[in-house]
Amino acid sequence: MSMKEKKSVKFNLQQNDHIPPFQYAKLLDPDASWDKDQLGDVLHWIRQVVALICGLLWGSVPLVGAIWILVFLVLSSGIVYGYYAIVLKLDEDDFGGHGALLQEGLFASITLFLLAWILVYSLAHF
Amino acid sequence: MATMLSSLKYSDSLTVVGISFCTAFLCEGISWLLIYRTSSYKSLRSSIDKASKKLETMKTEGPSSTKKSKTKKIDRVETTLKESTRDLSLSKFKSGAVVAVVLFVVFGFLNSMFEGKSIAKLPFSPANLVQKMSHRGIPGDDPTDCSMAFLYFLCSISIRTNLQKFLGFSPPRGAANAGLFPMPDQKIN
Repeated sequence: MSMKEKKSVKFNLQQNDHIPPFQYAKLLDPDASWDKDQLGDVLHWIRQVVALICGLLWGSVPLVGAIWILVFLVLSSGIVYGYYAIVLKLDEDDFGGHGALLQEGLFASITLFLLAWILVYSLAHF
Repeated sequence: MATMLSSLKYSDSLTVVGISFCTAFLCEGISWLLIYRTSSYKSLRSSIDKASKKLETMKTEGPSSTKKSKTKKIDRVETTLKESTRDLSLSKFKSGAVVAVVLFVVFGFLNSMFEGKSIAKLPFSPANLVQKMSHRGIPGDDPTDCSMAFLYFLCSISIRTNLQKFLGFSPPRGAANAGLFPMPDQKIN
């Protein structure tokens, strides 16, 4: 298997430490340079959106059983990984490694997912 | 709409979520009043952000000076970061007591309203450890009955964390590895 070419990212560390304002166009731009905090925030919100959608979906169908918590975890982590590794083509070592990126917003997303799933399930099916 | 909602078997869960939302806004408002708007908090936060970014740059840079002087510089920046983080934690700790009282009062109020009542249905059977909270005070053996305590816990974490993030009040990432009682760091080789 050929080595995937990973883009090394330029840090936005200018001499006056000014972080440029966030531009939504860079969300899908593999050539954009990322600040660690901005990337962390984007990954956090991606997780929250996925958690909300999964919770609403799982509760509506309804999907029942603890296995679906694992499915959510794998799915949301896969989406986050796919986003920073494939869409943005970032080098995870520049941002603290896979662990640091994958844990952004993880706990909050689990609680949000459970909340949405439980609420929709309880209100829609009883 | 209100009649339709109140006719649902588990409509009380919406009451808990609504109260949690209001409590989260109230707590963040108190925090802003007592902590976030103060100049000491803003300067501490800025100092932590700068120190952590400087530390990152120094750790990822190639060897530009002697190893010994580089290690000394890194140590100085790390010390500054730890001290600022400790000061930040202390300033938040003092005002956090007020928030804790509010949360305690709200929990007590909700507990008095919904004690012994199942306010939601879990779509899974939780582990025994989780059941201590999820089945708290509920009669019967059905593990999928959900108590107010568990739902309130989920609401608190999810709503408050995301509200803090949205308002820009979440703790700086540079402070994540240091705390009130920092552990000794590994030296960089």
